[in-house]
Amino acid sequence: MIARSSFIQRYFQSRTGVIGLIILTLIIVMAIFGPTLYPVDPWDMVSRPLQWPSFGAEAPLGSDVLGRDVLSGLINGARVSLIIGISATAAAVAIGVTVGAVAGYFRGLTDDALMRITEVFQTIPNFLFVIVLVAVFRPSVFTISAAIAVVSWPAVARLVRGEFLSLRQRAFVESCVTIGMSTPRIIFTQILPNCIAPVIVTSSIMIATAILVEAGLSFLGLGDPNVMSWGAMIGFGRQSLRTSWYLTLIPGVAIQLTVLSISFVGEALNDSLNPRL
Amino acid sequence: MRISCRDRLKLLGGVGVLAGLQASGVLSSIDVIGKAFAEDAKKTLRVTIVPEPPILNAAFNTAIMVQQISTKMLDGLLAYDKNFEPLPALATEWKVAGDGLSIQFKLRPNVKWHDGSPFTSADVKYSIEEILKKHHPRGRATFANVSTVETPDPLTAIIKFSKPSPYVMAALSASESPILPKHLYEGNDPPANKFNNAPIGTGPYKFVEWQRGSYITLARNPDYWVKGKPAVESLIVRFIPDAGARAVAFETGELDVGGTDPINLADLERIKTLPNLAVTTEGYAMCGAMYYFEFNMRDPQFKDVRVRQAIAHAINRDFVAKNVWFGYGSAATGPISQKLAKFYTADVPKYPYDKKKAEALLDAAGYPRKAGGVRFKITHDPSTYSEQYRRFAEYFKQAMRMIGIEVDLQNSDAATFQRRIWTENVYQTASYGIFNMPDPTIGVQRMYWSKNIRKGVPYSNGSGYSSPEMDALLEAGQNEIDVAKRREIFNKMQVLAMTDLSIIPIINVDYTTVYNKRVKGLTEDLEGVFGTFANIALA
Repeated sequence: MIARSSFIQRYFQSRTGVIGLIILTLIIVMAIFGPTLYPVDPWDMVSRPLQWPSFGAEAPLGSDVLGRDVLSGLINGARVSLIIGISATAAAVAIGVTVGAVAGYFRGLTDDALMRITEVFQTIPNFLFVIVLVAVFRPSVFTISAAIAVVSWPAVARLVRGEFLSLRQRAFVESCVTIGMSTPRIIFTQILPNCIAPVIVTSSIMIATAILVEAGLSFLGLGDPNVMSWGAMIGFGRQSLRTSWYLTLIPGVAIQLTVLSISFVGEALNDSLNPRL
Repeated sequence: MRISCRDRLKLLGGVGVLAGLQASGVLSSIDVIGKAFAEDAKKTLRVTIVPEPPILNAAFNTAIMVQQISTKMLDGLLAYDKNFEPLPALATEWKVAGDGLSIQFKLRPNVKWHDGSPFTSADVKYSIEEILKKHHPRGRATFANVSTVETPDPLTAIIKFSKPSPYVMAALSASESPILPKHLYEGNDPPANKFNNAPIGTGPYKFVEWQRGSYITLARNPDYWVKGKPAVESLIVRFIPDAGARAVAFETGELDVGGTDPINLADLERIKTLPNLAVTTEGYAMCGAMYYFEFNMRDPQFKDVRVRQAIAHAINRDFVAKNVWFGYGSAATGPISQKLAKFYTADVPKYPYDKKKAEALLDAAGYPRKAGGVRFKITHDPSTYSEQYRRFAEYFKQAMRMIGIEVDLQNSDAATFQRRIWTENVYQTASYGIFNMPDPTIGVQRMYWSKNIRKGVPYSNGSGYSSPEMDALLEAGQNEIDVAKRREIFNKMQVLAMTDLSIIPIINVDYTTVYNKRVKGLTEDLEGVFGTFANIALA
């Protein structure tokens, strides 16, 4: 208990961490409750095309080339971005932790084999690999999340493997082995909890990266054409950048704020989970 | 001045970049452009073509960027006025035989190829028989009925047909059917000939240099067959991949002419207000560019014509023209472009925007709104080449939702799109841009003719539409030599196409050309940027 309260205290000592947390909470609340509170379909052509932000009743943040409401796109896009960010990261962490734990615990041939596979994935440029995967399978929220997970697990795997290699040597693990504890139990109840802090920090950054990758894909027109996302909104607005720049600016700022707040939270987590640094 | 370690590194990097640039040719292109500025600006025309062509000879590749560069060097037998009537080019006189089975051409005397050899009827014979009929993507169909080209003397060529082929007279421009030098092509593999990338022609400009990824330079042909033309001394074609950068180049006066939408349509309003620049939609009549929406007629969902009619009634084509194409297009009424005035008729079944009627048609066809207000679900594949196509697909999805049809959009790359539509036929509905060309037999027949249901051939009859009546009309139109009768046949064809509605024509697309007002004579040519540029002058 002492450790946990001091962790929270340490977290709230970081000013950027607090700011990040506030912004992130607001975005999450917007993603969850926004579509109910502001029930305008982001694809509906509700107003005059290219109407400037008026902050009035109709299209408060303006409308795009087809007269679609920018505010509604912003709210629904938050949902898509967060779903993809979180699900891709969850999948990547699940794969990465499993691979890393097995490699680090068993070492030897298993380690060699798994690490060579990991290296194959690491040598392919991430974004290009995602583009190829999404182009091969039909772009949808699921395939995009899966593709991002496929390219981002190696980082987690290497991290967890490193931790396991060092923890494996410790006395408490040796004693677990001596008293005859089963291998899965040692891995999941003894070693893993001790290396979870860096994984949490890495995965917070991975969420931010996943959101950026999704935005990049949608910007290039390779996103799920049936859902509104921030990247897609920037893609729509790009053509009229010189005349209706708000179409690019608004979702751009949204992406930036989200990624920035997640980075702040990740950094604060890192500081509070690893007080030695 | 103190130079820190980091500054030194930067300097080193800079030197490296400079060397790299020089090696890659970027710097030398700046040199060329710099020189061009230094020379009399009145004599250098700076053009951009989007994107860079893969080859410079339109006989082997009919892509719009190839046609824009090929025509400056390679001539055709004919040119055309704004009513599509033939004008002399390499041929000075022509006579179509009464039975339509031959066309006799008198060729222009004293014309020389850029390498100094004389141009003769042998070149015409070789070009039509060996190049256009065998290697030209559309020529295989256009010249299919050509049995031989007779050359009684060096300045006479007679094309002989096995069946009357009146549409050939519309396909002899420099952009569609360039005449190539026999002496440089004979005996080797024509599509791989090195002169395809450095053409030797009879046209107003001679090839000088092609710095790939950067620019092409052409120089005035002093022996051009119109004395005193062209007025332009040198022509530089620059390749600038980004539309925003092209806009800046036009604004700063670094570019004079650019065709086929060089600047984002959304940005044109701003460009139009600039004092030195102008925007025109003229010069694309020969293309007859359209945007088609197509049903897969094999799909049971679309067996009932009322379903197809309902969808046609639910698409607001005026809205699409105004907002998706930013006004650079007009609502289409039939399969033949309004620009093809010789054949176009407005007197066809019409499907005005009417949601109520669309819903009534769907109800009558046995597709009532079910739970959630959805009648049925379909997929839609938009073509991939332009932003406008994607915007249209998004519009279509919303428009269909209003009448209770749920649309699942399919995003894919160009190769997948073509495979889904024309090879595997696995789509339900699709939309794509299409060229009518100057004659419906060349550009429109392919989309409706049941004998043109050919797997793996893009822009053939992909919908699988098959009607004996339509086939009979198209085949009659192909061989009819009487102009009035032919027009009547195509009128009937347009009525039938809009009755059966395998394709809903959406938009007559207006391509745009942006040019500096110092360029004179650009819009006088029917072909605009596809023309020879022989009559262009710089003020």
